[in-house]
Amino acid sequence: MAYRLESLFDVELPTGDIVAITRRSFGNGEGPTVALLAGVRGDTPEGTRVLHEVGKHLLRMEEALTGTVHVYPCVNPLAADQGARHWPGLDVDLARRFPGRADGHAPDRLAHRLLGELQAADVVVELRAAHPAFRQVPQARVLAGSSSAAELAASANVRCLRLQSTPCASGSLEEALPNLLMLEGGSGNRLTESVGLELADGLLNLLAVLHVFPEGDLPFHWAAIQRPVICGDDALLDHRCTRGGLFIPAARTWDDIDAGALLGEIIDPMTGETREHITASEGGRVLAHRAEPVVYPGNLVARLVRQ
Amino acid sequence: MSVVFSLESPYRGEYRLHRLTFGSGGPVTALVAGIHGNEVNGIQALNLIASMLRLQRVAGTVHLLPCVNLFGAEEARKRWPFDDRDLNEAFPGAADGSPVERIALAVLDASEADVCIELQTGSAAVHEAPHARVPLTGPAAELGRIAALPICWRRSSDRIDDGLVGAWRAAGRTALELRGGRGGALDLDDARTLARGVVRILAAAEHIGSTERPGDGVACTTVHDHRATLGGFFVPEVRVGERVAEGQLLGVVRAPLGGEPREVVHASTAGVVLALRVYPMVHASERLVRVAIPEE
Repeated sequence: MAYRLESLFDVELPTGDIVAITRRSFGNGEGPTVALLAGVRGDTPEGTRVLHEVGKHLLRMEEALTGTVHVYPCVNPLAADQGARHWPGLDVDLARRFPGRADGHAPDRLAHRLLGELQAADVVVELRAAHPAFRQVPQARVLAGSSSAAELAASANVRCLRLQSTPCASGSLEEALPNLLMLEGGSGNRLTESVGLELADGLLNLLAVLHVFPEGDLPFHWAAIQRPVICGDDALLDHRCTRGGLFIPAARTWDDIDAGALLGEIIDPMTGETREHITASEGGRVLAHRAEPVVYPGNLVARLVRQ
Repeated sequence: MSVVFSLESPYRGEYRLHRLTFGSGGPVTALVAGIHGNEVNGIQALNLIASMLRLQRVAGTVHLLPCVNLFGAEEARKRWPFDDRDLNEAFPGAADGSPVERIALAVLDASEADVCIELQTGSAAVHEAPHARVPLTGPAAELGRIAALPICWRRSSDRIDDGLVGAWRAAGRTALELRGGRGGALDLDDARTLARGVVRILAAAEHIGSTERPGDGVACTTVHDHRATLGGFFVPEVRVGERVAEGQLLGVVRAPLGGEPREVVHASTAGVVLALRVYPMVHASERLVRVAIPEE
């Protein structure tokens, strides 16, 4: 076995069963240590798939590794077992529990332990996914003040790099780790082939840029890596519906849309009659759109990024 | 009763935010329950208050919003059922935001008042004694004392700035939270106790005359949590609101299959049981019993 499988944390269930949260570690060189993390929420299998794709390549280039890569494929296995966003039983969102606490319940203790491990790494990348109701293109997010993370994100083969002005919420991992690089795409509880492969290639390129292994060992030419549209929060154009009904999209993700173009319509689910046309307020690329069609007034149905 | 906000739903009748208003003019007090759809004690308490106010001449104005998350309540769900969002995390809300943000803003607008009170319960797994959660000092702390529920927990401001109560405070209103019972279950005694606390506050604000006697609750600023060291099946030996002595048996964590004792939990301090785990399957480090330590 060319990697080390370590148990990071044991969740003891009331029945006495133990669920181990593990990580795979590749290489042990003097180069940088990179932590790749997925499955903080249980409805994000895309990240787990991507990390195992990366793991396959790391196994093949074991001799060439000059740094260390810690892969945490799924840190919330109880939720993932149910395809649920939150930690079951406690109904706790692990993504809002950082920095955790050493004497708390299991999610808090895990968050505390995990953060300690991640703080020891030179670079931390978290794989996330869209909410199951949405479909989105591969994209990166970093806090606007972190120039190192932004520089790395530009090498991650994503369509869009968003410089977030603030952490998305109190207790989020980026609040505890301001240099965190967040990669996401696809849809919650789904695997999207193109998104997974793009993100896997992006992570491998990022590891090469970090000199974890030589660039020549990449399974593709570095010139194939796409460069993102870089934007701040103010370049995002959210489109919400004002009527309830079924949202029928008229555009696909990453379509180049002109101002006024049709993004979709809300129809009466019983008669099929159109209740509302959703049109683009400005021109831009479709970053995400609603994939679950049932909507209430005020639901987000499309997000564009101004180019 | 009036509908102060509505939201079109895709398939069923529209969501409506109902408000009952008694009296007119100032001062104004607003009472809100059912932000979490499964917290039915607050709904029952406000319905008791409504029954009483119908029989009284009310000075000033009292607004009641007895069940904000009506769709959640219909399905015994804490969150807004459509997208599983927690309404209490959507405050202060937004007019052009998501459905829960629009409802949150409507609640904030509909509860504009000098004094704002929210009624809540513990989670579905935890039974809480009826108590007030208030700041350490100020008018809300004084109202918590006047409510005279079994416990008045005065807390530092950094722990009470979330949700609806936090939004009220940010808007400069006097706001407090009254809690009791547990999610998903109606406890008539707890609901009555909460209603009595509200009546004392309404009487102190001179909205109504009241014959409600002062309560004999305790005030505390410190609570002590007793947590499980091991996971298992927790069987409590005390009840919420019970006074316990230091060293008293609080409960036993047993093996779920076979019942052998794994851990005996004793009170580390004397006090009053503020919250008790009632769903017995517990994980290691989960809170079993919260004891409020009365002020001297």
